Amino acid sequence: MYKNGEIISNRCLKGDYFQVVFYHPEIAAQARPGQFVHVQISSGSAHILRRPFSINNTDPAAGTVQVTYKVVGSGTSELSGLGPGSVCDLMGPLGNGYIMPEDDEIPVMIAGGYGTAAMFMISKLAKNKGILLVGARSDADLILLEDYAQTGCEVRAATNDGSVGTRGFVTVLLEDILKNPVPGRKYRFYACGPTPMLLAAGKMLCDAGREDGELSLDHVMCCGVGACFACVVKVKDGDSFRYARSCSEGPVFSAGEVYYEN
Amino acid sequence: MKIDMSVDLGKFKLKNPVMTASGTFGYGYEYNQFYDISRLGAVVVKGIAPFVSNGNPTPRVAETASGMLNAIGLQGPGVDKFLNGEHYMPFLRTTDATVIVNIWGKSIADYCEVASRLDAEREGITALEVNISCPNVKAGGVAFGTDLKLLNEVISAVRKATTLPLIVKLSPNVTRIGDFAKAAEDAGADAVSLINTLTGMAINAETRRPRIANLTGGLSGPAVKPVALRMVYEASKAVSIPVIGMGGICNGIDAVEFMLAGASAVAVGTATFTDPYAPLKVIDGIKDYLKRHNYNSVSDIIGALEI
Repeated sequence: MYKNGEIISNRCLKGDYFQVVFYHPEIAAQARPGQFVHVQISSGSAHILRRPFSINNTDPAAGTVQVTYKVVGSGTSELSGLGPGSVCDLMGPLGNGYIMPEDDEIPVMIAGGYGTAAMFMISKLAKNKGILLVGARSDADLILLEDYAQTGCEVRAATNDGSVGTRGFVTVLLEDILKNPVPGRKYRFYACGPTPMLLAAGKMLCDAGREDGELSLDHVMCCGVGACFACVVKVKDGDSFRYARSCSEGPVFSAGEVYYEN
Repeated sequence: MKIDMSVDLGKFKLKNPVMTASGTFGYGYEYNQFYDISRLGAVVVKGIAPFVSNGNPTPRVAETASGMLNAIGLQGPGVDKFLNGEHYMPFLRTTDATVIVNIWGKSIADYCEVASRLDAEREGITALEVNISCPNVKAGGVAFGTDLKLLNEVISAVRKATTLPLIVKLSPNVTRIGDFAKAAEDAGADAVSLINTLTGMAINAETRRPRIANLTGGLSGPAVKPVALRMVYEASKAVSIPVIGMGGICNGIDAVEFMLAGASAVAVGTATFTDPYAPLKVIDGIKDYLKRHNYNSVSDIIGALEI
């Protein structure tokens, strides 16, 4: 019998990208696409702050929660060294999550880097097969494409160096789909990735009249439940902005409510 | 044997000595989803000003060795929304929680305005904590807490604006904390609380950029506990009003140390970020300590340090 938060597996996908599977039946049963878990990586005082991770996938029958992450600092570095049997305290599922597409809508998922992980459950659960538009610096930062393909999702990639797919940013792929929609198809747009990419995609969606597109935004997080106001992002407030808590008011915001700097 | 966990803070009593540190517990609402917040000695809400406050640019927090820096910048709804918004005071009034409202402003007039507004609608409010120690706002905050004359002016003025019990939250960014505690007492404070955060910096060497947009932030967590203990000890020697101790408290033993140093109550802050249940665990930890040492009242350990 596993303990809550026990690591079942933790493996390197490629380079700095890792995938960990936690046992946590309550979170596995409740999690919706776009929500996150807040993970206490060590029980000592080395890491005072928990680390938030998008939920990549769940298996409610097995009671497991899968997180795909990139080693970017001391917390993720320590996590990557934990093996099966290690136990982490998990809070979650937290955050609002994406609104799932209607039965007649095709989900278009706009992803950058490890943001690809956060939208997988949309692809898995949506009635219609979706389209993944994924951008990365190079092949080394493209992850989970086979997982998406296995759900029947069409994968279109763009890389800065042209090593895979179209040369350029993912917004080139988004622009193409916005300008050349297949007649009779209804799309619904989702995005997760680095903030500059999200803001560029959000603006493009708004310009195309798709303010209902959804962006998963965040910032360095602390409490995870809306108490500390650390992880705020700018959302529209009249002609100006206000800081909204990405943990409790987000992390998913509609493209229309996000504030774009001029 | 039943242990008496209540403590007397002069103008008011707490059911147990464990409070939340302002700014680390939202407005109570956020943590009531985890447990009944009325189990705490008191809920100290995030700072309330007479105006809406946007706070600082991001990033606002950075993890450091055994601690963290923050420069949230007192983002807040303002007193109107606090008194009327459903997740604020109206929510707290539906609970049995003992509520202490932390207040701040950019000027003495601001402090008085928010104090008198809360005084006028005081149902459910047990006391005010006057924040003269936030290191992360340009105007107000710590400016009042690091100058004895300004401290006297602002606390004397707030004293006239309300009859609610006043706790003055002191800054550790001073050389002689006892002088500031005494000045607060002389100006009419009913208690002092300390420490607020210690001003610090963190730099990302790879990018050569500060890790906090505000450049400096307030250090909290276990890293500051020895400094906080020393200051609570010095403050409690300098005044005859109750002292509320905080700074890096993570468990019951940490809390007991502060009470031995002279604190009549304690607050848990950064530890709540690591574990939302930390304040409850601190209460249980204090009880365990009292049982082990055959105390039947938590009050018996206040200032019981043997030198």
